[in-house]
Formats: sequence, C-alpha cells, structure tokens
Amino acid sequence: MLRLALRADRLPGPAGRLGATAGAVLAAGAVTLLGALLFLAPTMREIVLLFGINAVMVVGFQLFVGNTGIVSFGHVAFMAVGAYAGGIAAIPVLDKELVLPDLPGPLASVEVGFVPALLIGGAAAALVALVTGPALMRLSGAAASIATLGLLIIVTNVLAQATPLTRGPQSLFGVPENTTFTGVYATLVATVAVSALFKWSGAGLRARAVRDQPMAAESAGVSVLRSRLWAFALSAFVTGVAGALYAQLLTAFSPASFYIAQLVLVIAMAIVGGIGGISGALLGAAVITVLNELLRRVESGMSVAGTEIHAPTGISSAVLGVALIVMLRWRPHGLLGSAELQFEGSAPARAEPEAPRTVPEDSPEAVGRTAGAARADDG
Amino acid sequence: MTAFVQHVLDALSVGSTYALLALGLTLVFSVMNLINFAYGLLLVWGGYGACVLVDAGVPFALVVPLCILFVTVLSMAMGRVAFRPFIGAPPITLLITSFGVLLIVQYIAILVFGEKPRVLDVPGFLTGVVTTGGLRIPVLQLVTIASGALVVAAFYALLNRTAFGAQLRAAAELPQTARLMGIRPDRVLMIAFAVSGAIAGVVGLLWFAKVGAVTPRSDLEPTLKAFIAIVLGGLGRISGAMLGGLALGAIEVAMNIVLPAGAITYAQAIVFAVVITLLVLRPGGLSGARTEAT
Repeated sequence: MLRLALRADRLPGPAGRLGATAGAVLAAGAVTLLGALLFLAPTMREIVLLFGINAVMVVGFQLFVGNTGIVSFGHVAFMAVGAYAGGIAAIPVLDKELVLPDLPGPLASVEVGFVPALLIGGAAAALVALVTGPALMRLSGAAASIATLGLLIIVTNVLAQATPLTRGPQSLFGVPENTTFTGVYATLVATVAVSALFKWSGAGLRARAVRDQPMAAESAGVSVLRSRLWAFALSAFVTGVAGALYAQLLTAFSPASFYIAQLVLVIAMAIVGGIGGISGALLGAAVITVLNELLRRVESGMSVAGTEIHAPTGISSAVLGVALIVMLRWRPHGLLGSAELQFEGSAPARAEPEAPRTVPEDSPEAVGRTAGAARADDG
Repeated sequence: MTAFVQHVLDALSVGSTYALLALGLTLVFSVMNLINFAYGLLLVWGGYGACVLVDAGVPFALVVPLCILFVTVLSMAMGRVAFRPFIGAPPITLLITSFGVLLIVQYIAILVFGEKPRVLDVPGFLTGVVTTGGLRIPVLQLVTIASGALVVAAFYALLNRTAFGAQLRAAAELPQTARLMGIRPDRVLMIAFAVSGAIAGVVGLLWFAKVGAVTPRSDLEPTLKAFIAIVLGGLGRISGAMLGGLALGAIEVAMNIVLPAGAITYAQAIVFAVVITLLVLRPGGLSGARTEAT
C-alpha cells in the first residue's frame, strides 16, 4: 500500500530512496500536468514556458543552496554562461556570420539542435563552477555569499566585454526559438529527478552533514571542499541548462538580462518556497512567477472590473522585496520548509513512527535558523 | 617619482572612500551580524538630499551637515523599522532581508526622483586642481583623503573615549554579558545605525561630488565595493574594514596602471578575481578575522 506524505527526512533503505525520488518526480509531473492544461489557453503560453524555465533554475539553485546551506548570489552567472554557450551553439551557421562575424573559426562552423544546446549550456556553466569552485567553496557563510556575488560581477563583466564571442553589452540575437512545452517540461522532470537522486545520495548526505555540523563531518572524514564542490558543479549544470532554455525562448538577450533583477527573482522563489527542498522550490517558482507576471501587467496598465490600474515601473521588485521580508520575518523556512513530497510504503513497523534518522534533516535550515527563537529571546 | 606620488594619492583617495564605506557596514555587522545590501542606498538618498538642497539655494556649508544629519536619521529609521525585528537571526537571513529592504527603498527613490540621473552641482572650488611640484592634485581628492582621516579619527575617539563607544564594543564582543551589565541592545543598535548613517552621509557627498550625478540605481557600485572591502579585510573587524578598503583602492589603481590597454575593459573582473584569490590564500581576510560569522 503506497501513500503520499510530506516529510523532511526519507525512510531508510533503497525503498525509501526510491519513494523519495519518485515523490519528487510526481510533484514535477503534477506541475507539468497543470502547465499542460494552462498551455491550452493561448494567452497563458508564455507564462507557462517561463514558469517551467524558472522552475528548472530554482531547482538547480536549491540543489546547491539547500544541500550546502551557502546562499549563492552567483547562480545567475551560471544561467548567463548557459544562455550564451547554448545560444551561440544553436545559432545557425549562416546567421552566425551576420550576428557574430568575429567568432573564432571552429565555433563559427558549429550549429547544434535543441538538446545538444542545453547540454552545452549546462556543461559550460559546470566548467565555470569547477574552475571557480575550489576557491569559492573554501569560504563559508556570508563571506561565501559575497564571494559568489563577485563571481556574478566577473562573469557579467567578461560577457559584456568579450565582444567577438558575445556582441558585448549589445543584445545577442538570432538564437532559434527552439524552446517548446515538451522541451521545457521534460527538462524539468529530468532536473527534479537528478536533484532528488543527488539529495538522497551519499554525496548529498555528505553535503548536508557539512552544512549542519562542519566539524563533526570533517572529523568523520568528509571533505568540506569536495562535498560542496560536487553540489556546486551539478547545480551549475542544471542552472546552465535553464539558461540555455531561456536563451532559446527569448532568442535575443544581453548580459544585463542576467543580473540583479534575475538574482532577485531566484532568491525570492527559493526563499518563498522554502530553501531546503525540491518541492518548496517548485512551489516558490510557481508563486513568484505568477506574482511577478501579474505585477508586470499592472505596471504596463491593466483594467480590473472597469478600473484602470497603472502602477509605476519598478513596483514588481518592490513587491518582491516585501515578500522577502514578510517571509523571512514570519515564515523563515518558506512555505514548505525542507519537507518533500514522498511515497511511503505500508512500512515495516520499525520505520514508523520512529524511523531511524539517517539524515539530520530535521535540523533547521541555515536560513532563518533562529529568527523565531531570537524573538522569544529578545522579549 | 611624481608619477608614483600621483598614483599613491589616487590609491589613497579611492581607498579612503572604500575604507569609510566598509567602516560603516562593519560597525552594524559587529553589533548584529547584518551585512547591509541597502547601505549604498543611504549614499544615494544622501546624494539626492544634497541635490534638492543645492537646487533650493541652500549654501553648501549648510548642505553638508544637513545631508549628514538626514542620512543619519534615515539609517536609524531603516534600522528601527526593517532590521530590529531580526536581531539574532543568522547572517544570511539578515543579508537577504537587507536585499528586500534595498528593493523597497530603491523603489521609493524611483517614485520620488524618477529614473533619470540628477546632476549634483558642487561649488567650484571642489572641482579645482592644485598644481605643485609637477603634481596635479584634484581638490576633491585632497578633501576625500582629509575627510577619510578625520572620520576615522572621530570614529576611534567615539569608540575608545566615550561611554557610547564602550557600550558598542561591549555589545559587539560579548552581547550576553553586556546585557547583564545593563547595556540595552536596542540602544546600542540604534547608536550603531546612527554612526553608520553619519559615515554614509559623508561618503555619499564625496561619492556623488566625484561622479557628478545621482540615479536610483547608483547604489550598486558603492555597495559592492564595500562588500568586497569588508570580506577582503576580514568580516567583523574595524581595522580589517579599513585595511580592506585601502587595499581594494590600491588594487584598483594598480590594475589601471599595470594592465595593458586590451585588458583594461576587464579591470573589474580582474579586481574581483584578485580579491577572491587573496581570500583563498587567507580565508579570514587580510586581518585574519573569522570566516564564518557566528
């Protein structure tokens, strides 16, 4: 007898791992189904695609942040690298002469389809993560966050200056519009599966051990650097894929498309949904995508029940700011916390109600750890 | 030789701006572990305050203190409304909270002043250049270095010679004990925000006098510079903040001299890469502080 449950740790054994992974995939499947229904309405198409891409991006972000507890401000850089690498690879050879006349020879003669472009985007981002990770992953806490922000600045600067490769600060255009509903949501399901497999694997467990008890983990022989680096590279790959998807949806973009505004979105989605889990990432992506889209329509003027509402430009980011503060103040663990949708078998008695804790998952997440406790303490 | 002195002066003036920025940020960080993303916006509001006052015909000698007062009050308001409820939260929560505060306060600036840059007219003497012994020194550069030295001296006097300063240090070092001794954490926090705001007021004036115009999004650059400076110097140390700021200034000026013309456009990326490399060699920053805020 199988049933569904929301829980932060998983049941022990291979069955528990299978159930936890299958639960996450089911969540992605449910999201896909909902997306497919909405996609039938022509006005909803763009937002459905956008949501799917955002979901891939946030699941990728969460893969690193949730498992290591380091809040990265650099993931937008991976998205940018993925978008440029995948986008340039996908531009047809004939158009390349027009768009990027100075592209180095071997690159100029490359033209790939949708899936290879995604893989190229992901691989390029993972490469950047592997090169910078050994340095960045040595830092912890707020210093690490600021250093990853440095990575974003570096990547933006390089993309904006490497004119032969990227057209510099101008828009890169001519990327074929290959991103389809099937493409986005197949990627999402695959991403969620990979993310869940990682989370419940030994590598994921090691990363979370370092997150919760760095000293103890290290004395038990877990390498802080290596455990973080795995999560960093894999999450960069996923985020790069999201970038390549985005590139083939937008068809034209510039380094500015992947900067602070995008960073705000990623952070808001992760915080609102709950930074510790995949299910939370999906929920956060949904809530913020809808909210952001609504606000953007309000910005450009829309009429509700006969009244014309027109808010000044920029209100969307202000509302995201309010959402961030409200969440961190009153629900620091996000809507779902680190709970995951999982399948549970009609388990042997020992697994319930006191399942042996294989994962120290019930410990509070790095974000919002003591906001509540501190308040009580403060009074 | 003159070229060298010129470069040193450049590095000192850029570095002292960064050092002041880092000082203001570190002060609040040491009391409540907050790295404030919205810090640069205090500069922006100070810049706008100066624009409005100058346009209204207020003499510049009055604009300066009024501006500093305005930013001080603003900083205290921000601390009271937005950050006080979060006392005791982990640094990352505070960092993201300040990100939210940034978005809101920036939006208010956009509503009030619009997106267009607003020119700040400074009195003529500030834009002048002093020529001496083959050196051409902009007056603003001298004013910047002097203000930097003055603020740091005043800051140290406040920290080491007054009761406020003793309370601040106590609260930063041993918050629990300080509380048992009857030091009110709220009050200390407000003092920290006030001092940090006053510093932001000074830097805001210097910064926008140099740049010449204010936009609602001018906050990003100073905030980033301050962040890099405090991480480079070592999080949570007053001396580290100043060291980090001066070092960042020196690195920037050195990059502009050393880099070949083709690479100069990548200067920003290279500076950040250098800083990250330094951090790998010394994860605790130049002053060897703790890497993980507790």
